[in-house]
Amino acid sequence: MAKALDGIRVIDLTVWFQGPVAGQHLADFGAEVIHVERPHGGDFGRGVRTIKALPVGDWNQYFLVINRNKKSMAINLKQPSGQEILHKLVAESDVFLSNLSADNLASWHLTYDELKVINPGLVYAMSTGYGPHGTIDKPSFDMTVQALTGLMSRIGEPGQPPIYLGMGSGDAIGGLMAAYGILLALHNRRRTGKGQYIDASLYGAQLFLAAPTLSGYLAGEERFARQQSRKSPDNPLSNVYETSDGWIFLCMPNDDASWRTLCGSFDDEDIAADARFDTAGKRGENVEALVEALDGIIEQRTTDEWMERWRPLGIVASPINNLRDLEGDPQAWENEYLVETYCEEVQRNVNVRGLPVTLSKTPGVVETLGPELGQHTEQILVDTLGYTWEQVGELKEEGAIL
Amino acid sequence: MTSALDGLIVIDATSEFFSSLGVALLADFGADVIRIDNGERRLSADYHDRLANRNKRSVSLDLGLDAGRAALRDMVAKSDVFVTDAGLSTLAERGLDYATLSAAEPDLIYARASGFGPKGPDNDLPPLDELAAARTGMMPILPQPGQPPVYPQIGGMYTAVMLAFGVMTALHHREETGEGQEVDVSLLAGNMYGASLDLQAYLAIGGERFLHPVSRMDAGNPMSGTLYMTSDGLWVTLTMPDTDRWWPDLSEIVGLGVGDSRFNSHELRCEVNRLELIDELAKAFEREPADHWRKTFTERQMSADIIERYDFPVQDKQAYDNRYILEADGGAPKTLGFPIFMAETPAEMKRAAPRIGEHTDEVLSDLLGLTEDQIAEAARS
Repeated sequence: MAKALDGIRVIDLTVWFQGPVAGQHLADFGAEVIHVERPHGGDFGRGVRTIKALPVGDWNQYFLVINRNKKSMAINLKQPSGQEILHKLVAESDVFLSNLSADNLASWHLTYDELKVINPGLVYAMSTGYGPHGTIDKPSFDMTVQALTGLMSRIGEPGQPPIYLGMGSGDAIGGLMAAYGILLALHNRRRTGKGQYIDASLYGAQLFLAAPTLSGYLAGEERFARQQSRKSPDNPLSNVYETSDGWIFLCMPNDDASWRTLCGSFDDEDIAADARFDTAGKRGENVEALVEALDGIIEQRTTDEWMERWRPLGIVASPINNLRDLEGDPQAWENEYLVETYCEEVQRNVNVRGLPVTLSKTPGVVETLGPELGQHTEQILVDTLGYTWEQVGELKEEGAIL
Repeated sequence: MTSALDGLIVIDATSEFFSSLGVALLADFGADVIRIDNGERRLSADYHDRLANRNKRSVSLDLGLDAGRAALRDMVAKSDVFVTDAGLSTLAERGLDYATLSAAEPDLIYARASGFGPKGPDNDLPPLDELAAARTGMMPILPQPGQPPVYPQIGGMYTAVMLAFGVMTALHHREETGEGQEVDVSLLAGNMYGASLDLQAYLAIGGERFLHPVSRMDAGNPMSGTLYMTSDGLWVTLTMPDTDRWWPDLSEIVGLGVGDSRFNSHELRCEVNRLELIDELAKAFEREPADHWRKTFTERQMSADIIERYDFPVQDKQAYDNRYILEADGGAPKTLGFPIFMAETPAEMKRAAPRIGEHTDEVLSDLLGLTEDQIAEAARS
């Protein structure tokens, strides 16, 4: 089947998560993405098990999923012959993607100024920490940058510690943003023939992630910077409530029709008649009392019982699931947001995060999990770059390739 | 200066913040985005409207009327991309489903921002981020143990970028082959993508550990992903997964000996004496204020920082130098800028969010060649 990005070749000189996941989005839709790694140990993401950076299963799910559908070349970029390989690859590629430091790239002769001479049509995409301009010069990781945005301090109950939005939550938006930027630059190149330098930083992407509330703060609503208790929400009908066996997210507008419908689902008739709650304005004024009253009612039944009562009444709500529930959710499987694929490392099928963007005629696909280190070095040297087998042998002897 | 998407015509029939913002990502880079507005209030918050509808034109059409729907179909026929976040049944009723629109225009890119995707039993649930976040499985594990589940309110932002990315992917294919298609991006997919690593770790490892919150005093690696309070009540976070690399610096700044026999290997720090190290670090960070720690981290180029509030980026020069936040302009407040830098075709603020129907006459006459009488018939006055 045809793929949307057939014919696009990407040099993916990235490590960890933010850079690799940008390449993953392109590879899922058929771009030929070549993950270029150092011969000794490869991408740091291969080593997460040893350094206990995060929990890893019996297969390295961290590295293998974000580098799926890619090829791997192991090249020693400290050697001139290694740099020459990369320069030849640049001449044959559409995109150069990296999240390495500018110092590293400069010392290996991989700056934009050097590469655009080799290939003026090259899209040179950086995934930096803090953007191409300005004065900040310090290491960036997902969470240290998320810390600066203000996002972490505004969620959860007042007085509780800040909350990290999940492992890789910032890298995920940074990488996706870079993938979008690359397609913009490729589109522009189609008309002008020219490539360009682009950057999608962790800081910029995570400020975008904060848009729902940061935009309100910028407009002068300071409360958006602070934690807000579920006991005093803006809208008591859109709030989390504890049931007898879990939690439920009630998602209704605070209008009188919704209120009457909701009251109709309760056995307790007092609340429907309670004058403190009979208009939207009063429900706002007496929000704490209302949440307390709803807590008292909703905790008496199970989540399933409420869902069964509410669904036919058109009351919009959802059980608050955990990750196990998600793994069993047919909606996630039918849309291929979760897929099963073969894992060489453990010689069995495994479940992986699937394809979040659905294209009807040229869908993304998970064909292979991440490659072995240097799995495609020789193939690309010979087939794409025209090296002879003798030359490949020499490069190996010099230590320029694995 | 030219823009990356000059000449691309997009019909934007969205009505939610996240989906309108996804289309704004196309407009910021030069697409001619024409909003279809219904003569009602657009987004419930003005600050959302300003951000999500900037750089767009607005046409007021009553889609309840045959003439309004006909004008919309004619506009779509002159366009490259149609974006909607309406339900499948509503779209079918109005003759705005993919089958109808693509019959007249096979190369159309038809994008739908949905709640739960194009297939499955819940493919017509409303596009509410709260519902999707609840389904994703992260809400129970974000807070400290014993706390209520947390709604992070960010899933729609992943979906917004996925929308722009999906449209561009389909456009690339169309430029190569002439073939249009449907694109669907959902809030469920966006929330799941944002949860990538926790979700993938659960899928690979299973068990109970990803189903319940973990206390900050029980972190798997005391030096990575951890939170410590400072003497002035702020919080420090460390991201030093490779503890061998960072231990010499960290041990020194917190006053533990680099050779402290309790902690002088990765194994001791992350396994044997993990809880003791967390405890020592918690005590050490509480001895000095946040300013002291930031200065120290910066001097030593350490991967650690202070957890700020929104006042920080709003006064951070870095955010303005990179146009992530734009200065107040002529009475309009500060606003979020552009997360992607393009050297040759930068995003631009060409026009503020339009009044509803501000460009009705202009667009209907330019794009469709309608006369004044025909326009009056199609548009709600």
